[in-house]
Amino acid sequence: MVRFKHRYLLCELVSDDPRCRLTLDDRVLGCLVRDTIARVHGTFGAAACSIGFAVRYLNVYTGIVLLRCRKEFYQLVWSALPFITYLENKGHRYPCFFNTLHVGGTIRTCQKFLIQYNRRQLLILLQNCTDERERDTIQKSVTRSCFLEGSSGEELSDGGEEATETME
Amino acid sequence: MAVFADLDLRAGSDLKVLRGMVETAAHLGYSVVAINHVVDFKEKKQEIEKPVVVSELFTTLPIVQGKSRPIKILTRLTIIVTDPSHCNVLVACTHLDVDLVCITVTEKLPFYFKRPPVNVAIDRGLGFELVYSPAIKDSTMRRYTISNALNLMQICKGKNVIISSAAERPLEIRGPYDVANLGLLFGLSEVDAKAAVSTNCRAALLHGETRKTAFGIVSTVKKPRPSEGDDDSLPACKKAKCEG
Repeated sequence: MVRFKHRYLLCELVSDDPRCRLTLDDRVLGCLVRDTIARVHGTFGAAACSIGFAVRYLNVYTGIVLLRCRKEFYQLVWSALPFITYLENKGHRYPCFFNTLHVGGTIRTCQKFLIQYNRRQLLILLQNCTDERERDTIQKSVTRSCFLEGSSGEELSDGGEEATETME
Repeated sequence: MAVFADLDLRAGSDLKVLRGMVETAAHLGYSVVAINHVVDFKEKKQEIEKPVVVSELFTTLPIVQGKSRPIKILTRLTIIVTDPSHCNVLVACTHLDVDLVCITVTEKLPFYFKRPPVNVAIDRGLGFELVYSPAIKDSTMRRYTISNALNLMQICKGKNVIISSAAERPLEIRGPYDVANLGLLFGLSEVDAKAAVSTNCRAALLHGETRKTAFGIVSTVKKPRPSEGDDDSLPACKKAKCEG
């Protein structure tokens, strides 16, 4: 079969500052990753990784990012991700780092992993939450997620967004 | 499969920062962390500072992401030896009673690794440690880190290597899969790189535990002492004699 094979890197943006995630933009992120690859792997890295590179999914509230790259060069991209130390947008610089959660060959496998991960995160949020109102919202999201097994990940990320919005 | 471990978190003076670092490590998926106290033996008779008591740091230990057990926190002492006449790396490999030999990355290594002492060290079960947080901060450090690491790999062929962060702040720690990938940059193979974050760390910890035991088989455990104002604290044999 002749087709281009890709690797999808599912990453989470971890930062102290809650405003850092809100300033995420796919173009800014793409430029940041490309610059880091150029810094770490030089001209060859920058050229090799730029062919199939794209930011496929971005969730501003939970900080989840899905990057696509070609299968031959995914290790170059992956090995440059730990060297990202800050995110710069509109003159503000926020220190942060990327944590790779999963590497998949298709978007569907990454989505399946993301659904399980979000479910676990909701349970952790439920343990740590302090307010009654938050607890109600999160419990509703958890029951919805268990009920809608097999449905798309959008429902779950919506639940996560609501929960994080009420938390903040 | 062995659990992921980060065996080097630099202990600063601020407990809050340390707490943040341990929580970040738990969130990223590390099951074991070791708080590192660094001692420099430049002046003679320097006092070794007291290690951080874990119960003071946390009342409830944070739970590791993805597992249901809380994180395990250990403490560790690192001694910097700069005087080559006093103690050489070769001597450390062969004679000193240590668990890990840390490869400094702040400058180009002035000596070359020789294969015989390194082989002796591997037979004794010593691990070689590479740190990656200078590489993240500075680009000249990155060059030295990678060159020293590649040098080490050529001699030891990737056996008994562990990679850890000498992190001073919570934002300098990276996730275990990212660190395993950094191992690829340092010249390890994929299997070795993953082992560098999991199995070899566990091996180093067990090596440390066996120093308390006799040949690694018998170990003594301190019995907790009963409280002072307790009248029933007569030892059981005496009690039996009185009653019998």
